[in-house]
Amino acid sequence: MTGNAPMEAHVLDEGDWLAAGEICALCRIELHAMLELAEHGLLAPRLTAEGWQVPAAALPRLRIVARLMRDLGVNASGAVLALELLETQQALERRLAALERLL
Amino acid sequence: MEYRDYYQVLGVERSAAPEAIKSAYRRLARKFHPDVSKEPNAEARFKEVQEAYEVLKDPQKRSAYDQLGSEWKSGESFRPPPDWGSGYEFSGGRRRRAPPGRAAGGEAGAEDFSDFFSSLFGGGSPFAGAASAARDHHARVEIELEEAHRGTTRTFELRRPQPQADGTVTFSTHTVRVSIPAGVTDGQSIRLAGQGELAAGSRPAGDLFLEVHIRPHRLFQLDGRDVTVTFPVAPWEVALGAGVTVPTLGGSVEMQIPAGAQAGQKLRLRGRGLPGHPPGDQYVQLKVVLPPADSAPARALYEEMRSKLAFDPRANWPRSSS
Repeated sequence: MTGNAPMEAHVLDEGDWLAAGEICALCRIELHAMLELAEHGLLAPRLTAEGWQVPAAALPRLRIVARLMRDLGVNASGAVLALELLETQQALERRLAALERLL
Repeated sequence: MEYRDYYQVLGVERSAAPEAIKSAYRRLARKFHPDVSKEPNAEARFKEVQEAYEVLKDPQKRSAYDQLGSEWKSGESFRPPPDWGSGYEFSGGRRRRAPPGRAAGGEAGAEDFSDFFSSLFGGGSPFAGAASAARDHHARVEIELEEAHRGTTRTFELRRPQPQADGTVTFSTHTVRVSIPAGVTDGQSIRLAGQGELAAGSRPAGDLFLEVHIRPHRLFQLDGRDVTVTFPVAPWEVALGAGVTVPTLGGSVEMQIPAGAQAGQKLRLRGRGLPGHPPGDQYVQLKVVLPPADSAPARALYEEMRSKLAFDPRANWPRSSS
């Protein structure tokens, strides 16, 4: 695919769903682990005639949780807890930086 | 290539028991995990730690590594001995090199290990368990905020493994130019159908996924599609109101500061954030900067304010503490 015309990329947003198999391969986790994470509220998959589907918007958070589980040996609830704490920390850091800019 | 001292990386003795190695790995993995760590070079350190553990946790690999001897120093120029690996399962002429850099850094895995690791233990098969299925690729792409606002293009070099009839593997490079549309937000994924790894046989290729990250900007802070700019103003601009020129991603605009505005107050420029449905807004947060009293006229003005304004900044404090 060389050539001058660039490929148009499709931005995945709220309305997009991915096949569970695809999202599992991207995050390198098993389907049962993904469904367990759904129980923890990390994502809300839906069952269709073609099998499980996952909202594309869940991909970034699911990737982080999958890495934490794989690399640090934490279980699903621990990884989701860590993700939520990380997000809280990032939000606080953003607010702190915003306040510091006013000084 | 350079020798790597895996014991030093994990901070354990050469005689360390498997439990001690596991414990050192767990501790360092937590410390340097790129999703968690604030350490500088966390990602590089984490990969080193992973690579060291990959070798030292496996009795076969560890014993083979130990046979190199303890005379080597980290960073020393290294070449595997000619009889390297004989008697071990991972040995033989199939030292497959890791597939070199996919589109800018995919998921960390065995394929990211060092040349030193690959020369000793092979690159880890990129095809394990995926002989027939097309594979999706995931990569990260960093763009500037201005690029997210107006749209941009990126060129990727994708290297695809091509299994040959004789069992060896070669790599073919192909170039993809991707148009990233205006209004993409931080953390959003974009998908390129059919640009992932080719499947064996005639199955279609998988998809390429790019996770977009927007680099921090010197002036604008991004939150979703909204941007905030901290805007320095003089005390009289907020007190009396003023027309000012404010930078936005789409160029400068004129804005009216209302009389009586307060320090820290946010004014909204509707639709001046990242484009989208609906587009984001720009917030202009007022930062009052006091003029210094560093000249006789300036001091005179401050003294006049002190004498003429009945202004008590601590008026709302409880009586006892003032």
